[in-house]
Amino acid sequence: MQENKVTQITRDEIVPLAERMKKAGRYLVMIHGWLDKDGQPVVSWDYSVPPAVECYRVVGETKLPSIGEIYDTAASWPERELNELFGIEFEGLDMSKRLFLPEDMLETQGKGQIMVTPLSELVDNMKKVKEEE
Amino acid sequence: MSYIVPIGPYHPALEEPIHAKLITEGEVIKDAEVFVGYNHRGIEKLATERNCIQTLVLVERVCGICSHSHAFTYAMCVEDINGIQVPKRGDYIRVITAELERLHSHFLWMGIACHIIGHDSMFMHIWDERELVMDLLERMTGNRVNYAMVTIGGSRRDIDDDLRRDLLAAMDKLKAPLDRIVDIVLNDRTIAMRTKGVGVLTREDALRMGAVGPHARASGVDIDVRRDSPYSAYGDFEFNVPVCSNGDVFDRVVVRALECYESIKIIRQALENLPEGPINLGNKLVKIKEGVSVKMHEAPRGQLSHMVVGDGSFNNHRISVHVPSYKNTPTVPHMLRGNTVADAGLIIASIDPCFSCLDR
Repeated sequence: MQENKVTQITRDEIVPLAERMKKAGRYLVMIHGWLDKDGQPVVSWDYSVPPAVECYRVVGETKLPSIGEIYDTAASWPERELNELFGIEFEGLDMSKRLFLPEDMLETQGKGQIMVTPLSELVDNMKKVKEEE
Repeated sequence: MSYIVPIGPYHPALEEPIHAKLITEGEVIKDAEVFVGYNHRGIEKLATERNCIQTLVLVERVCGICSHSHAFTYAMCVEDINGIQVPKRGDYIRVITAELERLHSHFLWMGIACHIIGHDSMFMHIWDERELVMDLLERMTGNRVNYAMVTIGGSRRDIDDDLRRDLLAAMDKLKAPLDRIVDIVLNDRTIAMRTKGVGVLTREDALRMGAVGPHARASGVDIDVRRDSPYSAYGDFEFNVPVCSNGDVFDRVVVRALECYESIKIIRQALENLPEGPINLGNKLVKIKEGVSVKMHEAPRGQLSHMVVGDGSFNNHRISVHVPSYKNTPTVPHMLRGNTVADAGLIIASIDPCFSCLDR
């Protein structure tokens, strides 16, 4: 059955791992990112190794090597997304064009959460601003 | 003479917003770029403010076609984190809904493909048959679009004996029109002329760019999450994975048409062997335990993945939704090169794109 196998790795292992996976014909399911409960960024490279999903995680790094040259757009699109929405920098990744954010929001790269703030938070923020005024 | 032809993001030929920039010489596309993000609704962020039952409702709204796939995959993640074992009957009902969803999605796409190439009688014929599937879904779930069939720990609605008998009869009824559709698709000269050799994606390129689903299978990549990494009740059923080799629009039509037979086969097996017992564990709202889970599901368009991070509270700490169109859309510029502007709409549509899904 489909299970997750989790391994913590260092940033130096990301590229050799991707090369090994590519050579073995493994699909890159996705590169996921989130902040853990301590606010540390976690990035996970999830590979399909049937029947399991093998998840390789790097914790606490905001500058990581890109595997776009190995996995082409299957890697470069998630990397661009993580850059826009989480501010994670991928060395070697072409960020000359935006992926999800509007063209005129390029100057807000890495602060993409501005674009996805829920209405409830926006309303609260507006109330705070008014109170301060 | 070189021209830049912009298509979209809002264009009558597009069902959903995407911007394609075609760099042409005369009629021939020399290069192309695609731009997404016109439907970004911040669903992942919204999910961090919701509990798991509310999130089921939310993720169903990611897509109007494969809504069940999203609820199904999200629920699998939460169940994995919390160690919840879904009752067998609940799993079977989830699979039946998923395969009905695949049927209606493939019928929908085949109809639209015929409409784009100007074969409108086929479009109407295919959509007429799709209505049978939509009626079944409506009868089974109460809805035509967002089925709300999934709950954490099982399914929300049961299939009684009457419905089971009717579903089996409907599967029999569907076979003859499907035979006719496949016969026309395989032998019609108009379809062949507009789709054969158009928008080719080779096996090497499909593997290089990580294409998934019927789009990859049309290029000879033999992948299917249901078979390769079985989940829910899929391990209990026998089915084939149709694979073609030319990687053109024609093969994408053929793969999807043949997949309809396999869905019918799975639905039949699930209905004939529907286990006795409960369908869920009582619709309880649970806290999402601390942990992370990544689950894949073979949605109608290909491999769908959800990731859920739980922190021990009722709400999601983070969810991440990545859909097949996320993998397949980057292959579009590659497929467009060397084709004519007149085929651009068809080639973009041939991946069965869902930009609402992609943007979330």
